[in-house]
Amino acid sequence: MDSYASFRESDPDTSLESGRKKRRKIEAESQSSEYGRTDVKWRSESAQRIYSVKLVEALQRASQSAAPATSRSTGGRTVRDLANRVLAMAARGRTRWSRAILASRLRLRRLRKVRKPSGSCSRPRKPLPAPSEDRKRRLPAVEKRVKVLSRLVPGCKGIPVTNLLEEAGDYIAALEMQVRAMTALTELLSGSHSDRLGSSTPSPA
Amino acid sequence: MEVPARSNEIALESFQFHEEIRQLMAPPPENASSFTALLELPHSRAVELLHSPERSNSQAVASEGPPKPYFHCPGGGGFGFPANSAVVGRDSMCSSFTVEANGSSQKVKDEPVGESDSDPHSSSQPLVSDPPVEDKAQKPGKRKDREKKAKGSAKKSKSNCAEDADKLPYVHVRARRGQATDSHSLAERARREKINARMKLLQELVPGCNKISGTALVLDEIINHVQSLQRQVEILSMRLAAVNPGIDFNLDSIFAAESASLVDSNFSNVSFPLPWSELQANMLRQQYQQQPWHLDSLQHPMWGREDCSHNLIASENSHLSYDSPANSVSMHSRAAENGVTKVE
Repeated sequence: MDSYASFRESDPDTSLESGRKKRRKIEAESQSSEYGRTDVKWRSESAQRIYSVKLVEALQRASQSAAPATSRSTGGRTVRDLANRVLAMAARGRTRWSRAILASRLRLRRLRKVRKPSGSCSRPRKPLPAPSEDRKRRLPAVEKRVKVLSRLVPGCKGIPVTNLLEEAGDYIAALEMQVRAMTALTELLSGSHSDRLGSSTPSPA
Repeated sequence: MEVPARSNEIALESFQFHEEIRQLMAPPPENASSFTALLELPHSRAVELLHSPERSNSQAVASEGPPKPYFHCPGGGGFGFPANSAVVGRDSMCSSFTVEANGSSQKVKDEPVGESDSDPHSSSQPLVSDPPVEDKAQKPGKRKDREKKAKGSAKKSKSNCAEDADKLPYVHVRARRGQATDSHSLAERARREKINARMKLLQELVPGCNKISGTALVLDEIINHVQSLQRQVEILSMRLAAVNPGIDFNLDSIFAAESASLVDSNFSNVSFPLPWSELQANMLRQQYQQQPWHLDSLQHPMWGREDCSHNLIASENSHLSYDSPANSVSMHSRAAENGVTKVE
């Protein structure tokens, strides 16, 4: 995990402008090699950097908007939801899971405000598609796991397996980037924080 | 206008055809916005693919062509197209499968793949039929035409092709020798191919899945990986939340209290360029003028440095071409990570 801190720290040093050039060169070089990999975009430095910036901004906003007395803005769950939302925004709405993450919050808000008496807030569930002649598809082992996976990836409950696998791939790549970015951010923030607390810097009066 | 192989009729034809392509391809950057994902990619790829035939032909690109997506990468020219070798190899495997896609723009990737193959193998015929085919480029039915065209050269193989062909809107499956040809089993087979292709991608993504064989076990690994990632995100978010209160967000107080020299010294700690410091201080002072003063002297330098990085990054981001999210185009391939290590 140390590599992430060093990676993150070195970012501002090296790659403000050279990063841009590096990115373009690498784009030009490795164009033909990767066709179907949508996860490659989640691996780039700039994606991580953009995400980190957005996350920091969102954190600032959250902590400012919430009353200073309450700890709501900086609760663990709040931060996690916020991080997921920023991640979904970084996905630009091209994937189902990102749209589901962003939409779920709207849905929750509406429900809290409107408070429908019916209480049936669950979205209409599609019945399981009737099994066709595909014998292979009925393997219970695979089916079970596909169901579990569909529960893990947000917004992927009733979709066909192919789409599910694709969403899962993108989701995994995005999660990995999220972990990297948050690790680096935490280290950056906590590292500098402990630095300052450790050293007794006299403040100018 | 110099055509290198004048003696060859085919070269002449392909050159004319090539002009058409060029007119269609003319404004690549204009259309880039609909394809550029988070981080500016595919148009640069197509543009580069453009560059080599452009060099060889040195033809001025007409700019009246309607901004079409890059359907006709000049593989049809066959003029020493540098990426051709990389592309042809894939293509020979691809003609038999085109699989359902997410977005029509994904076709882009396969188009040049397909066309470049047809040329080396059957020279005049595809060139003649290509222009009409081009016109229908945007229709998914084009797939069929190209398949028929490339019948002679096409190999009936799967795997790699299915990966690339994954993105196309129509399913065209060719029955292999000794296999049933009724529509159901064909559809089944196509579906299986799709699923297997995606599983392969996932296997590459998830560490340690390459050695496992069997869909169920691989899915197990994938599920475990997703769960572990989600757990990590939770833990990290708790840690981040714990760190957050330590950060004083009242920047106005921080920067008002600090002298410029102090800020500079912080910057030098992280080796930021010095000219940024004044800019930073000014920006932050403007933003947070209204905040009350919550001074904690020990936190000033820390916040200064941290927010410095934040703003630096933010201003650098403004240079990135960061396109609007309204598109439904899925991501094109991106440059490989330059030194970013994957989380294991």
